[in-house]
Amino acid sequence: MQNDLSYENVTMRFEGRSGAVQALERFDFQVSSSEFLVIVGPSGCGKSTLLHLTAGLYKPPTGRILLGGSEIREPGPDKAIVFQNFSLFPWKTVHDNIEFGLRINGIPAAEREEQIKRVIRLIGLDGFENHYPRQLSGGMQQRVAIARSFVLKPRTLLMDEPFAALDAQNRQIMQEELVRIWQTQRPTVLFITHSVEEAVFLADRVIVMTRRPGRVKEVIDITQITGENHWRSDPFDEVIRRAEFQDVRSRIWGLVKSEISVRN
Amino acid sequence: MNGAGRNNSLARAMLGTISVGSVLIAWWLATSLELVKPLILPPPADVWVGFLDIWHGYLNVPFWNHFLASISVMLGGYAMAIAIGVPLGIFMAWNRAVDWVVGPLLQILRPIPPPAWIPLAILWFGIGYAGKIFIVFIAAAVPCILNSYLAIKQTPPELLSSARSLGAKPHTLLFEVAIPSGLPTIMTGLRIALGIAWASIVAAELVVSLAGFGFLIMNGYRNLESNIVFVGMAAVALLGLLMNLVFLRIERALLPWREDQDNG
Repeated sequence: MQNDLSYENVTMRFEGRSGAVQALERFDFQVSSSEFLVIVGPSGCGKSTLLHLTAGLYKPPTGRILLGGSEIREPGPDKAIVFQNFSLFPWKTVHDNIEFGLRINGIPAAEREEQIKRVIRLIGLDGFENHYPRQLSGGMQQRVAIARSFVLKPRTLLMDEPFAALDAQNRQIMQEELVRIWQTQRPTVLFITHSVEEAVFLADRVIVMTRRPGRVKEVIDITQITGENHWRSDPFDEVIRRAEFQDVRSRIWGLVKSEISVRN
Repeated sequence: MNGAGRNNSLARAMLGTISVGSVLIAWWLATSLELVKPLILPPPADVWVGFLDIWHGYLNVPFWNHFLASISVMLGGYAMAIAIGVPLGIFMAWNRAVDWVVGPLLQILRPIPPPAWIPLAILWFGIGYAGKIFIVFIAAAVPCILNSYLAIKQTPPELLSSARSLGAKPHTLLFEVAIPSGLPTIMTGLRIALGIAWASIVAAELVVSLAGFGFLIMNGYRNLESNIVFVGMAAVALLGLLMNLVFLRIERALLPWREDQDNG
């Protein structure tokens, strides 16, 4: 199991115009291989910072982040990130957006086409290969963004509020789709959301973070509640009516709320 | 929505026709009622005679010679401005050291209006083609540099982060993300530069030339033939309009992914 992620004493601060902002403080955590980890917490608690650090977009001044035992030093396709605003290349078609990562990583053309075909079928966008992003709905664009990362077979998939820009119906569909897509390769997933429902539905474990500077407030193991058969494989609107779901949902919401309402 | 769109373009065409039409009618009335002297404002019929004169070879110079003189010099200077200005703007935006070296020089040269370069251009390059190409180059390079610079600086940071996360190295980021992302802004700069190039070749020809539309205008003025001045100006206007239309067509063909080009 070489896909595990570990955070050792990670600290991050930004120099802003109004002085330094401490985004993360002594963040210590272990994520096991193929785990679906969801992070919730109040706005500005450093969730996104944590994800960007994990992606290798910048380096923490102190502490280390290890992926499969080696320290993350630069971004790369083994830890692909998916953003809230999709960040597709607007000048490229669906096909070319997905091809980009394969091509710059030196995958031969014949194999690229095979992979693209496979992943386009997986996300259900057959027939849209030659569409430009602007011609697609938000949900379809996010499918392409997921496919673009997923086609590179990342060991870790980092998702920064990926469904926040979608309407409620599309969000629900995409949550179920993500589970289906994830189960085909089972990369380790780090998923950030503001929706406690989304967190409880998708996660193996939910991390609740404190307000800034962000630390781990509490870890809730959802698999302990669901057992072997995780409820994310069931329809979302049915799962959210279950009593166990609602219990853990309100418990987590209470934890998040206490971090939002406490002001100093 | 389609109906409203059609109504709008109809209203636009009607109002445009009315505004241009009333100026033409006012012109015709003012001259045929002899409210102004023909030297100040030649009657439409005189202008037509002037046009035929030029078409058949005013002062024994065929019309196409004027056309070629102006167009060839303009295109020469314009091509140089693109070839030097666009890469310069891009590299200034991409590399801080280039920006710090070239930036101050540009800031000093930029406020000098292109016609102010004419005396120096003649001293340096003589009264032939080279001097005028230099004027056009100086004038057209400014929007090429500025828009290319802006285009690269305005690359959405998340597009760059996504690309890095997919495995892109710096040269890929520049050539496959920043430049295509900025291409619409670069193209707008090239279109502005085209207009400025055309204006400055005419300005240069007003001062020194033996052919070209600037020459025609100035020669009409020296011989007190205001109808020739009018024809020269009208030719400049029409050709400028035509070049802009051709450019817009090219721009649309090059940027099929733009939002303002929806055809579905």
